[in-house]
Amino acid sequence: MSVRENAGGLAPSHVRQVRHMRHLTRLLGSEIGLTFRRPRNLAMLGVLAVVPVLVGVAVRVASDGDAGGSIIGQIAGNGLMLTFAAFVVMMPIVLPLTVAVVAGDAIAGEAAQGTLRYLLAAPAGRTRLLLVKYANVVVFCLAACALVALSALVAGLVLFPVGPVTLLSGTTIPAADALLRVGVVVLYAAAGMAALGAVALAVSTLTEAPIGAVATSVVLVVVSQVLSAIPQVAAVRPVLLTSWWGAFDGALRAPVAFDEMGQGLLAFAAYVLIFGSIAWSRFTSKDITA
Amino acid sequence: MAKRARAVRWGVPVAAVAVVAAAVGTGPVIAAVRGDQALPDRTAEQLLADVARTWQSGRMPPMSGTIVETASLGLPSLPGLTGLSGGPGPSAASAASLLSGSHQLKIWYAGEDRFRLMLPGEMSETDVVADGDTVWLWDSAANKATRLTAPAAPGGGHSGGPGGGHSGGPEGGFPLRPGPASPYATPEQAARQALKAAGSDTAISVGDDVTVAGRAAYQIVLTPTSADSLIKDVRVALDGEKLMPLRVQVYTKGAAEPAFEVGFESLSFTAPAPENFSFTPPAGAKVEQETATPPVGHRPEAVAEAHDRGSVVGSGWDSVLVTSLPEAPVRDVPAQQQDGKGPDGLDVAALLDGLKGAATPVSGQWGSGRLLRTKVVSILITDDGRLLAGAVTPEALYRAAGVKG
Repeated sequence: MSVRENAGGLAPSHVRQVRHMRHLTRLLGSEIGLTFRRPRNLAMLGVLAVVPVLVGVAVRVASDGDAGGSIIGQIAGNGLMLTFAAFVVMMPIVLPLTVAVVAGDAIAGEAAQGTLRYLLAAPAGRTRLLLVKYANVVVFCLAACALVALSALVAGLVLFPVGPVTLLSGTTIPAADALLRVGVVVLYAAAGMAALGAVALAVSTLTEAPIGAVATSVVLVVVSQVLSAIPQVAAVRPVLLTSWWGAFDGALRAPVAFDEMGQGLLAFAAYVLIFGSIAWSRFTSKDITA
Repeated sequence: MAKRARAVRWGVPVAAVAVVAAAVGTGPVIAAVRGDQALPDRTAEQLLADVARTWQSGRMPPMSGTIVETASLGLPSLPGLTGLSGGPGPSAASAASLLSGSHQLKIWYAGEDRFRLMLPGEMSETDVVADGDTVWLWDSAANKATRLTAPAAPGGGHSGGPGGGHSGGPEGGFPLRPGPASPYATPEQAARQALKAAGSDTAISVGDDVTVAGRAAYQIVLTPTSADSLIKDVRVALDGEKLMPLRVQVYTKGAAEPAFEVGFESLSFTAPAPENFSFTPPAGAKVEQETATPPVGHRPEAVAEAHDRGSVVGSGWDSVLVTSLPEAPVRDVPAQQQDGKGPDGLDVAALLDGLKGAATPVSGQWGSGRLLRTKVVSILITDDGRLLAGAVTPEALYRAAGVKG
């Protein structure tokens, strides 16, 4: 669609919308570029890529044939299992930590550096800026989870034999199907991390100290994991974000436990809705002094 | 920014919380409204007769669903129990861990000899897959597949298990009920047991219709007439159309929430996919052969029953199990310690030690001992080495203790 057609055929409000959209995508592009060029974030991504390799090497060194039936033990027999094992190892704390750093820093970091004012001087508006910031967090979550899977896949291929995968249900599926299920796990894990990203973003709008926002988000993760480990307060388990993260193992059952994973996705959506709206209310009504 | 505008903005998250809370809360309400198809009135007798007829025909409809078992028996935390409850794999599914908390079981049922039961765990799974004469027990945590063959002498040699002798009934669908998965009772088994226990000492009535797993259901209420019983009533929900038990709840006196509940959380009466019933041991798994042994049972008294030297005093709801305590716990020799474990992996000695520790000293004309009260069961350990247990008040236990004292 050319610019002339645009001007001739559409109402001026549409033209403005198109311009806003373009502005938005440009803003998002620059945000993503900044995120993935920051040395700190690159270091974190490096750690995410190294952990699965470490797990693989450790199993390779330690295993002497039959290492038992646990998910870690199965890696020795099939390199593809390393992908699932990597998520088992990293979902509880390593992945959430990186997401909390990026999302917790999103608003508070700009405020601390004094750059938030300049961002808001652009005609994007606060709501749009917040949306761009959150979209950037979601992209980071996806990238982080995909990186873990990719690194684990490569390490698994190099270190171990690869073949048909045995699911938790005892069913054996071809390696190609297993790759598909890896994709499902990546998407589910990214959705779970994106929900945490919304929480961290909300915390980030409440403070001007980025380290405070990051620490608060991590503490929330740890506290809810401790809570879900205490049998006496089992009743709160369904409400906690962390208790839904583990449901990615539904992708390893036959038939795939779509009902549990669907419930998990609903829980993530509820978290995004609530904490996204908190972030919006706070960010659009607060006085930007820095 | 004006104060009012700010207040309005903060209304948005409040609204978001309200929306989520409403979405969580209204799910059951919508199901209840949809399931409220005004079942035709039936008296308790009609209902029981229809149920009996349905069960005698022995055909449970093909279905798949999720069963949730919830128990809050008010047991003290006992070392023998808590040691087991956390672990992954089969131990998590052991009888002991079912005594507290909530547990999930998935079922695919195509016929008496074609079904699959699945206990999901965190990154693990225990399955029972039956297809004709082939029954597999799969334990992913141990990477072990066990092929079970029926014992040579058929005919339900269940020692006090539910539905013994009902060969050919729907019970026949679970004749083997093997291994770690056996502690689970399906709603149907529990209902059968409750109806069997209902003798002259039970008032049977029809309660308000309820909705279970989105289906309209009749409710039969069994109320013990005896004053000694700790149990207020047992409520059995029967599907309005198929008359299949959907839920069994046990209410104790003075508690608003059921002490024990097993029922469907979701249920669909469509034939399950055939691949659910085909099981081939995966490459690299340990494969074993085993002859199924009759299950010991899945009640709290199972521990005592394991040392089968007991007798039952009284009848029906007031039954009191009287047994002598096992010999002084042997713990020094590892092999014997293995023997000390019950069939469900319970460390009986540790459990008894825990029981004694949690119990309060009592004495009376019958003698003296220690009493443990829970919501459902009273347990009396006398100083002369007897153990009495039953779903009755302590006074009834004292009477039973006095008879033999």
